[in-house]
Amino acid sequence: MRPSRTSYPLSWRLMDALEAIAAAVWPRSFSAAVPWLMLLPAVVLVGLLVLGLWDMADGSFRTLDTATFLPSDDYSLTNYHRAFTEKLFFTVASRSLIGSLIVTAVTLIFAFPYSYVMVRTRSTVLRKFLLIALFLPFFIGQVVRAYGWLIILGSQGMVNEALGLVGVSPIRLLYNYPAVLFGLVQYMLPFAVLMLAPALTAIPEEMESAAGSLGANWVRTFIHVVLPLAKPGFIGAGLVVMTLSLTDFAIPAILGGGSQDFIANAIYDQFFRTSDQGMGATLALLLVAVGSIMVGVVFALFGAGTLAIGRSK
Amino acid sequence: MTETMAADAPFAVSVRGVNMVFDGVHAVRDATFDLEKGRFLTILGPSGSGKTTLLRMIAGFGRPTSGEVFINGLAVGSVPPHKRSIGMVFQKLALFPHMTAAENVAFPLKMRRFDARSIPDRVQRYLDLVKLGKLGDRRIHELSGGQQQRVAIARALVFEPDLLLLDEPLAALDRKLREEMQLEFRRIQRELDVTTINVTHDQREALVVSDEIIVMDHGRIQQKARPEATYRQPKNAFVANFIGVTNFIEGAVASIDGEKIVFDRPGFAGRVGNGFRPAAGAAARGALRAEQIRIGSGREALGDVDTIFDGTVTDAIFEGERVVYEVSVKDLGETPLRVFDHDPVTHNQHDIGSSVALGWNVKDVLVFGD
Ligand SMILES: Nc1ncnc2c1ncn2[C@@H]1O[C@H](COP(=O)(O)OP(=O)(O)OP(=O)(O)O)[C@@H](O)[C@H]1O
Ligand SMILES: [Mg+2]
Repeated sequence: MRPSRTSYPLSWRLMDALEAIAAAVWPRSFSAAVPWLMLLPAVVLVGLLVLGLWDMADGSFRTLDTATFLPSDDYSLTNYHRAFTEKLFFTVASRSLIGSLIVTAVTLIFAFPYSYVMVRTRSTVLRKFLLIALFLPFFIGQVVRAYGWLIILGSQGMVNEALGLVGVSPIRLLYNYPAVLFGLVQYMLPFAVLMLAPALTAIPEEMESAAGSLGANWVRTFIHVVLPLAKPGFIGAGLVVMTLSLTDFAIPAILGGGSQDFIANAIYDQFFRTSDQGMGATLALLLVAVGSIMVGVVFALFGAGTLAIGRSK
Repeated sequence: MTETMAADAPFAVSVRGVNMVFDGVHAVRDATFDLEKGRFLTILGPSGSGKTTLLRMIAGFGRPTSGEVFINGLAVGSVPPHKRSIGMVFQKLALFPHMTAAENVAFPLKMRRFDARSIPDRVQRYLDLVKLGKLGDRRIHELSGGQQQRVAIARALVFEPDLLLLDEPLAALDRKLREEMQLEFRRIQRELDVTTINVTHDQREALVVSDEIIVMDHGRIQQKARPEATYRQPKNAFVANFIGVTNFIEGAVASIDGEKIVFDRPGFAGRVGNGFRPAAGAAARGALRAEQIRIGSGREALGDVDTIFDGTVTDAIFEGERVVYEVSVKDLGETPLRVFDHDPVTHNQHDIGSSVALGWNVKDVLVFGD
């Protein structure tokens, strides 16, 4: 009797063929190189980024020749001088910096209870609901979401219509600083929750019970036990929120309506409106520098939190 | 005078008809017991028998589905854990890793608003008590397992709670350290005279440290008694089996003569256990401890016993201070009997396969129905 055909399924034969091809192309003796080869794409990507930065560094020392609209051939510090002296850039920079700090603080405050409930609830239904609510915004995208806010908060938006019903004349809810910060917080919340949740999961529930039996009510348990133990999560989440909101483009552009530009908007303007690539490159590099310094300061003060890498000791 | 005082003084802990049901799982069933002040009670039972659940309800984590817990005579159903005067040492210790040993011990004092000036001295006193006087400034992860246990004990005791609860804090330690810590518990408990409830599934620990033992199984309290009584007068076959090494001989009742129950296996009889009074013909099992059986190469070597059976050695395990034999006795069923032989003088080893005589007294065979 012939053996059953499914005793060696077609998919296995396909795999055999593929393995044979792989073996021909990539002899077994090379196998030690495989892990490095898998690292290659990432290295190439980072390498390209460094190349780009190098190119921008070069550009940042060239001023725009207003006659030809081409970057000058000679190098100067003019762009940097302008960046540090012109009021516009100062306004934009401080707006972004202060904004990112406020957004970070507010987001962390909102994100904590959300992830805490998500991690600790005994109800699987509630946990699933919270998780879905968290991921939904990711499917929608930043620009669409910002437009959603236009619909809700615009002068003829839902909020103002509702206010109109009770006789309140339309209020300008958009195109101001709070609107941008509000939009950013809403955008950053899921990131912060996702970064906080693992840190909270890592705190044994028994730790909180212990604090309770030792005489701490929930507020003091939170302050003395949960908060310090969740610190790595706060640092990780804070860094991500801070850098993402410092460099955000879409929300200041759409909810700020051009009046509330962040650094990224200013850079965009230099590149694509004024066509002053040198100035754009200067601002971009300064943004990288400021961001790195902020991250560096946090690392130095608090450690790297959940972003700490390498084998734990 | 003192007697009426003792009778009037409320129990340190009273548990009355307490049940705990977790969606479908009946973890604790109708638990009722009292514990006098200053006593050391051990709750002993196999894994999943509801020990932790019972302890947590006393501590205030998780309200009983029904029933009531009283501490010093007061119902505490609606009192949250931080308002109860209970020190608890958790199964996984739950020491705070972001604090030093001394800070861990100081924590309950700060939370309970002790006078700040008195805290350092008191912390030092309790660190000394657990013999960690010099290690207060170490972080938790810089301490060994046994030292961490001590920090946890100091932290649970430093605020002088009315009640100390221990949830198997020794389970993770190696045997030598565990036995050392058991005695340490006992010493501290006597020194401070604090009422203590200890949870364990280590029967030896229960016998060594306790004034009283509660044996639990399937959420139900099987017996509450002093260690010796738990050992010598187990209330049912479960307790007899759980504590010590017990042989069960299955059979049916042939006749009953006062306290003596004669089995349908010729020559085998036992004594009524826990008021079990079966009719003739009913199924019954005799429980006989391994150390109550004597073993010898012939009947004359057994000395003064009233029951003797012949058997064959099927296994002999040398354990140092004793030899554990498994002896198959044709007339007593399939399962071989386990026998401890503590004979440090003659060192008579019985080889596997050799014929031996086993002897014991009828009064040592407890007969149960279940
Ligand atoms: N929060 C809970 N939700 C659902 N079931 C639970 C919960 N806690 C305990 N149980 C169940 O209740 C029963 C008793 O659990 P408990 O933790 O009290 O056992 P234990 O005697 O302490 O066991 P161990 O010796 O393994 O610690 C178990 O069947 C357990 O699965
Ligand atoms: Mg347990």
